[in-house]
Amino acid sequence: MNDKNAEGHLHNRVGPIFRAGELASAAIEALEEDNPDKEFFIEDRTAYIRVVTDKECVIRRDTMEDILGRPFEMQELETVLGSFSGQIEAEEEFMRFYFTKTL
Amino acid sequence: MALLNRSDWYDIARDTNWTPKYVTEDALFPPQMSDCFDIPREKWAGYDEPYKTTYREYVKVQREKDAGAYSVKAALARMKFFEGADPGWLSILKAHYGAIAVQEYAAGMAEARMARFGKASGMRNMATFGLLDETRHGQIQLYFPHEHVNKDRQFDWAHKAMHTNEWGAIAARHMFADMMNTRDAVSVAIMLTFAFETGFTNMQFLGLAADAAEAGDFTFANLISSIQTDEARHAQIGAPALKILIENGKQEEAQRKVDIAFWRSWRLFTVLTGPMMDYYTPLDKREKSFKEFMEEWIIGQFERNMLDLGLDKPWYWDIFLEELNDTHHGMHMGVWYWRPTVWWNPAAGASSAERDWLEEKYPGWNDTWGQCWDVIAANVAAGREDLLLPQTLPVICNMTNLPIVGRPGKRWKLRDYHLDYKGRRYHFGSEPDRWVFEQEPERYAGHTTLVDRFVAGLVQPPTIEGALQYMNLGQGEIGEDAHGYDWAFDYQNFRKQAV
Repeated sequence: MNDKNAEGHLHNRVGPIFRAGELASAAIEALEEDNPDKEFFIEDRTAYIRVVTDKECVIRRDTMEDILGRPFEMQELETVLGSFSGQIEAEEEFMRFYFTKTL
Repeated sequence: MALLNRSDWYDIARDTNWTPKYVTEDALFPPQMSDCFDIPREKWAGYDEPYKTTYREYVKVQREKDAGAYSVKAALARMKFFEGADPGWLSILKAHYGAIAVQEYAAGMAEARMARFGKASGMRNMATFGLLDETRHGQIQLYFPHEHVNKDRQFDWAHKAMHTNEWGAIAARHMFADMMNTRDAVSVAIMLTFAFETGFTNMQFLGLAADAAEAGDFTFANLISSIQTDEARHAQIGAPALKILIENGKQEEAQRKVDIAFWRSWRLFTVLTGPMMDYYTPLDKREKSFKEFMEEWIIGQFERNMLDLGLDKPWYWDIFLEELNDTHHGMHMGVWYWRPTVWWNPAAGASSAERDWLEEKYPGWNDTWGQCWDVIAANVAAGREDLLLPQTLPVICNMTNLPIVGRPGKRWKLRDYHLDYKGRRYHFGSEPDRWVFEQEPERYAGHTTLVDRFVAGLVQPPTIEGALQYMNLGQGEIGEDAHGYDWAFDYQNFRKQAV
């Protein structure tokens, strides 16, 4: 048995997995801006980009508009949001990824 | 025109519950179709879907997704990727479309069940969009392979497979029907949308997309990752349902259903996704091994989410971790050996360089699976094709409808887990498969595997030819070695040099 895998789910790594492109790049920039106290790790697998941080992060619609330089509806992010780790809260003004339990 | 904010009207608009006056509550929501957990309807009012959408938003976003997928296909069709693609990669496309495209419509029926019989209005709303999603997935995954049918008849199985008695099709239908189409709305929410769609679909639609992008198949990578953006949304039907179940003291029953769906999904992926990632994808295009993708998506991501929602690890977790090293290697060897019985051309993936990679990813591979491939390669070199093709049918698990596989060679391990029920002996490939059966024997007892049918005399004549006919596999469709045994000569030369 593999000891590493026996513990493989005991972590607090949360965050979105995007399809690569302009929106994904903007969203990653927004994550850095909207969560200044967080450190983000990016795993680029060409077809998808896994963005990882500790416990919780948020992307705000206003920040996306500033970065893109155009009106932006939060729902547009769905076109590149392939998956996510953690739970989601998708509202009009923000999208949040989080864990309720800290391990 | 100024529009109201969604949050100002969403709850009122989607809350279509009313109190029935002319029929009973159970007539409106029969428990066997609606909620086998029997949670009172007022409790379902607390259901809060976390990934909301509205029809206006849905149409706009989906239009954009489709425009992206179809325009990439149209642009890249000029690149003639198909003509230059590795035969192993084309086999991935054939297996994927045949196993999945038509099942998307069955998934649409499962969404429809939640859309009609879910007691939570939020569930009904999200499942209505989920139904539209699955219709999109069915259409688009029948349309994309269709352009290849005039070049290769096996692509016709994108549409055909699920309508046949081919063994893999029987296995897929049995598993998907169990999880999606023969359950009440709440069970579908936690078994299909939570266990399968927040878990396993990521492997096939994002993990495999990473390999596709490496292989240069951007049409496929773009298509399947686009599909997964729909899944990411409607998969969130399950999480709030789990919360309600746990709040109402149904944690144990919910856990049991998730465990059933998880195990059944895992086993199907060992025959579908495992061989694709570790054997069919050209060696220099492999992003990660199947096991590494499982560690990323299922252990690291899905299992962590299970804990966050208040569930535990499945009871068979240690068995699952051990199976990560073995089961799909056995499934692959079985599929390759019985290759006339599949609608794609399995790539052996056992050249000397590929074996080095397998040994690195799965230490001990050479002493187990490698020993079997040694014999196969020697038979190829000796020109003994009679020893390279099946003479009979394998022993099949009465739960998965897949071969019962163990571990060969120096770490030999093979066991049949059987159970006698009402005068019939059932065989299972693992302890959890038998456990699934025991949870609800009458659900499964009447089903016959392909081998059961063979023994009962339903396959005539009782030969491999008769079996191929029963499985609707004709000339030009039956599988052959994807690379005409080139890999075996490479390995034989390698061994001679080593000596």
